[in-house]
Amino acid sequence: MDKVAINLTVNGRNRQALVPPRMLLSDFIRHELELPGTHVGCEHGVCGSCNVLVDGKAVRSCLMFAVQTDGARIGTIEGMGADGSLHPIQEAFWEEHGLQCGFCTPGMLVAATELLAEKPDPSEEEIREAISGNLCRCTGYEFIIKAIRSAAQKLREGNGAAQTESA
Amino acid sequence: MASHLDSNVIPPSRQRETPRAGLTWIGQSMKRVEDPRILSGKGGYIDDVKVPGMAHAAMVSSPHAHARIVSIDTSKAEELPGVIGVYTGEDVATVVDPCPSFASPPVTQHAMAIDKVRHVGEVVAAVVAEDRYIAEDAAALIEVEWDVLPAMVDIEASLEAMGDGVLHPDDRESNKALDESFEFGPVSEDFDAADRIIKRRLRWNRSSAQAIETCGVISQWDAFKGGYTIHANTNFYNFIPFVIGGSLRVSPGEMRIIPVLTGGSFGSKVFIHKIIIMTSALSRLSGVPVKYIEDRLEHFTNSDSHGSDRLYDAELAINDDGTFKSLRFTVLDDYGAYLQFGVGTHGNAMAQVTGPYQIGSFGMRVIAVLTNKTQQGPYRGFGSEVTNWVMERMADAAAEELGRDPLELREQNMIQPDQFPYMIPTGNIYDSGNFQKVLGEAKSLFDLDAWRKKAADMRAEGRCVGIGVATCMERSVYGPTEWWSLNNKETPGFTLTSTPEGISARIDPSGKLFVTLHSPMVGNSPETVVTQILAERLTVAPEDVVINYSDSQSGFNGVGPQGSRFTAMVAGACVSAAIKLEERLKRFGAHMLQRRPEDMELRDGKVAVKGLKDQETSFADIALNSSFFRLSFPDGEEFDSGLETTAVYDHPLSTDPHEDREHLGIFYPIVGHICHIVAVEVDPGTGKVEMLDYAAVHDNGTIVNPRTLAGQVWGGTANGIGTTLSEQFNYDESGQFVNPNFAEFAMPTANEMPRNFKLGHVETPSPYTEYGIKGGGEGGRLGAPSALTSAVEDALQNYGVKISALPITPPVLRGLIREAEQAA
Amino acid sequence: MKPAAFEYECPQQLDAALALLNDANSRILAGGQSLVPMMNFRLATPSRLVDINKLPDLDYVRDAGDAVEIGALARHAQVYASNEVAQHFPIMKAAYEWIAHSAVRNRGTLCGNLCHADPASEMPAIMQVLEAQLTLSSASGARVVVATDFFKGSYETAIAADEMLTMLSISKPAPGTGWGFEEVAMRKGDYAWCTVAATLQLSSGKIASARVAVSGVDACATRLSDAESSLDGQAPDTELFANVAASAALAVDPADNVAVSADYRRDLVRTLMPRVLQAAVESAG
Repeated sequence: MDKVAINLTVNGRNRQALVPPRMLLSDFIRHELELPGTHVGCEHGVCGSCNVLVDGKAVRSCLMFAVQTDGARIGTIEGMGADGSLHPIQEAFWEEHGLQCGFCTPGMLVAATELLAEKPDPSEEEIREAISGNLCRCTGYEFIIKAIRSAAQKLREGNGAAQTESA
Repeated sequence: MASHLDSNVIPPSRQRETPRAGLTWIGQSMKRVEDPRILSGKGGYIDDVKVPGMAHAAMVSSPHAHARIVSIDTSKAEELPGVIGVYTGEDVATVVDPCPSFASPPVTQHAMAIDKVRHVGEVVAAVVAEDRYIAEDAAALIEVEWDVLPAMVDIEASLEAMGDGVLHPDDRESNKALDESFEFGPVSEDFDAADRIIKRRLRWNRSSAQAIETCGVISQWDAFKGGYTIHANTNFYNFIPFVIGGSLRVSPGEMRIIPVLTGGSFGSKVFIHKIIIMTSALSRLSGVPVKYIEDRLEHFTNSDSHGSDRLYDAELAINDDGTFKSLRFTVLDDYGAYLQFGVGTHGNAMAQVTGPYQIGSFGMRVIAVLTNKTQQGPYRGFGSEVTNWVMERMADAAAEELGRDPLELREQNMIQPDQFPYMIPTGNIYDSGNFQKVLGEAKSLFDLDAWRKKAADMRAEGRCVGIGVATCMERSVYGPTEWWSLNNKETPGFTLTSTPEGISARIDPSGKLFVTLHSPMVGNSPETVVTQILAERLTVAPEDVVINYSDSQSGFNGVGPQGSRFTAMVAGACVSAAIKLEERLKRFGAHMLQRRPEDMELRDGKVAVKGLKDQETSFADIALNSSFFRLSFPDGEEFDSGLETTAVYDHPLSTDPHEDREHLGIFYPIVGHICHIVAVEVDPGTGKVEMLDYAAVHDNGTIVNPRTLAGQVWGGTANGIGTTLSEQFNYDESGQFVNPNFAEFAMPTANEMPRNFKLGHVETPSPYTEYGIKGGGEGGRLGAPSALTSAVEDALQNYGVKISALPITPPVLRGLIREAEQAA
Repeated sequence: MKPAAFEYECPQQLDAALALLNDANSRILAGGQSLVPMMNFRLATPSRLVDINKLPDLDYVRDAGDAVEIGALARHAQVYASNEVAQHFPIMKAAYEWIAHSAVRNRGTLCGNLCHADPASEMPAIMQVLEAQLTLSSASGARVVVATDFFKGSYETAIAADEMLTMLSISKPAPGTGWGFEEVAMRKGDYAWCTVAATLQLSSGKIASARVAVSGVDACATRLSDAESSLDGQAPDTELFANVAASAALAVDPADNVAVSADYRRDLVRTLMPRVLQAAVESAG
């Protein structure tokens, strides 16, 4: 099948590529763009390890074709921090032991990013619901939930500080 | 009085670092060293690795549970553009021999099936192509003609199978792979003398770890050297060359196994030898490096890591006063189509088969049954999760028949704190413990008295609420005799007795402590615990410790994370390495300060004169001088340049099995103890179970890092909850595996976990390991099933429902309630 | 697990999309949350995908007076969050708590979900209870099918190969209408073992109109007309509900499989239906 030209933004950087229509977005990100931080756990849309942000929304990258992202904005965990520093959500996962083997972690970080963008102060139940589409076999989820609560607080405090500065 | 255990003498302790208060780094919830690279997407898992010129493999798997391969037509696949080669089991067998087997006598298994398939998902052909998509296109074009044979699915029916129902007619006349009986102590006498015998038939069904990352391999055959370079997410990279060299027809030294960060194991990646052998064969046949990553379906159906699948007829001999006297059972174990580890999972269970109770004798008949399912492998507990549940079910059954409170009956029979080290009838010892204290903490954490009243009130309102308490053992630091001690004496197999763990350590001229590990990171925290232990012992700052991993040619003596052994074992290696480095540091430092080595001590990353504040020199200075300024030191090899060492730590406490198997020796002696208490409510109309409250108290000896230990406990508990309430591999009558996917094999999500989960710890240090550390990687799954089962049974007391099989999914539980309703 | 090759079309206008459906091997790609897993397992191997995600003006949830209209590209997340649904169809919001997970709802479309017609999916039952009108468009025109006529069997609907479900129109409920929804699945977000959905319109203490549907039980989501006629005209009553549920449990025809028995699904109908009907009475106010 003929390859299709696509033009998209990944972690703020413009990328152009020729892709076969059937190439899964997960494979495109991992193997063509060489961003292996997004993981593939099931390839049938259940485990959530491959979640990425497409135009700000968390989606299963194993259930999209790369060709569909022409013109889209994609975010992966490689784009969260800057200059060797971790994003506050990543920082919170580190501090609260929100990961063990790390394989589900990219999906958890993406789920947390989306949740906290919409709900800066989520309840425990809201956090559970938000990550319930992400399977983790290591943690029993407790420390992930704690990490997201802590990340929420960091982000709220960070935003508060930013507002104070700009005021 | 003479005992069968008299010949099993407990060796003296080799502990060098005693458990003590006031440690600086051990006991801290230090942030993990491993995390920043993982969090930023630079972990380096198997599928992240690219080798120049690498091709990709896809497999053709059997759709049948049991069939003869009549023919395989690969012609269409070979013609597809982008295909490098297509290979059948017969092709693969031209370059590799059958898989290794710890069973003795072995059950023959080819990495890729020849002539016959024995379970759904068994691979019969492979395509090597430029990319995985093309490889799968070609695999779909391969036509296999099958002669379908009767599928053996039921454990008892398979035992009776004849003719075409026999899986391995060349090896064995029936599907009974092994049938051995054991008596440890005066079992018959104890049963004859007991007032009552409690009998139960108990069934533990099959599931598996299903780590979120599947297994994968990249293998590259080097035709000039005649060896392989292999990347693989095995737990066991420094040992596996010796296991698979024979199969690959190369010496172990001709294999270079390079570890990768591994996305979860829970036992499932202990060896992964089959896909290493298969992928290596494909590389040798195709002449290119080959990558093969199992997809999820293949991981379910062909990764040899299915969990325990057992049927017990158990008997507990007791006196009317509640004293437990003896335990015995016959167990049929559905091992699936092959028997890679023999009955090692039962050997493991012998470490703590009598639980925390004083039971004087134990007998067992174990029958390993072959069926048309994927073969068993390790899964968090390695068989002991089942015997823990059996023991606790029998304790509940005894309480019921005696009309006693189940908790009080447990307490009556518990080993007392002054009885350690305590030898159980199988010969293993429990090194230390305080079960009463663990139970006390758990009761208080859960507020058991208040909950009992609350549950009674809720039941009075007509609600089905119940409380379950489990008091279980968590053996840790395994010794290898578990693999073979139950084998037939005439064919004992590979009677391995070593499980060492090593590190290499070097202080470089900049003063950094570089440490090389010989076991991989699989989701445990090896870099963090090694950093904490070495920081403690050498007084260095954790940020000055840098961790690396060897490969199998540069490394040595690592057995890896399994059997809850790694932290305790690597601590021993760290202490050995630190002692050697300390000696050199003091020798060089003393010379630099013009003192005698025996006057020196280690202090905050410096070598200092004892008692003198300013008389000191930093490790960095010593390392710089010892590395670059040879003429500043005396002649003699004790001043050879550099500060480096290697250290190997052997199992701290093990003995050989008795040659007549009167006992199994000491092989899993560093025991933790766990108490889980849970309150549940069952909706009798739907069979749904809701956990209302959950408390767990674990005693894992001295804790290196409380937060990472808590992560292990919670994670293990989540596994145990899944095992109990929702996870089961379902097979239909034709041997089809009907739910090999994450949509239908229901692992708990964050929504299914208990709210308000409370975790407590008791620290009873081991007298045998460094600092008193015990393992703690499996306890959650070793306790949760027992507690939950008891709680659900308690909740359904008005229906008289008895639970004798796991999992208790809502349909299963509703079925039991329906039967009770109809009987009433 | 990689999909087989296909031709990819991404039309920018509805007419162009409909024209492409004339090829019988074409499949519409909307959210892809059911189709793409099937393609990854190679259980579906369409030769051509018509990606409708770039079509303009189909991603609406809008108030149309007596009804709320939902376009082909309205994502589950959008429907779930919409004020129109919250205000007029709380039963949909309740059901959404059980439907998949947020990343799937972000991408999956309600119309695509209905066209997939999974027997254990929730919305086919809800749409039948709400008697939603489905607009099926093709190159030759459009027709409207009511939800109760749309679902034909397991993964089977009334839609023709050249048609696309372009709009869903759901009439706002009559005053005095209450609703109930209950589901049992292994995990929240899984496909249902049994969903029971109902609306009851109460008038002068009697049930003026009952609509009851189940999914996860029969080959497709089904309205239970016998149950409804047993309820119509009656005063709500615990015993009545139990009897109706008991009859319904016998009337459904669930499949028996290894993990979930037919008896179990019947038990769920028997258990859940009275709860649903009681909730409907209470919410009718």
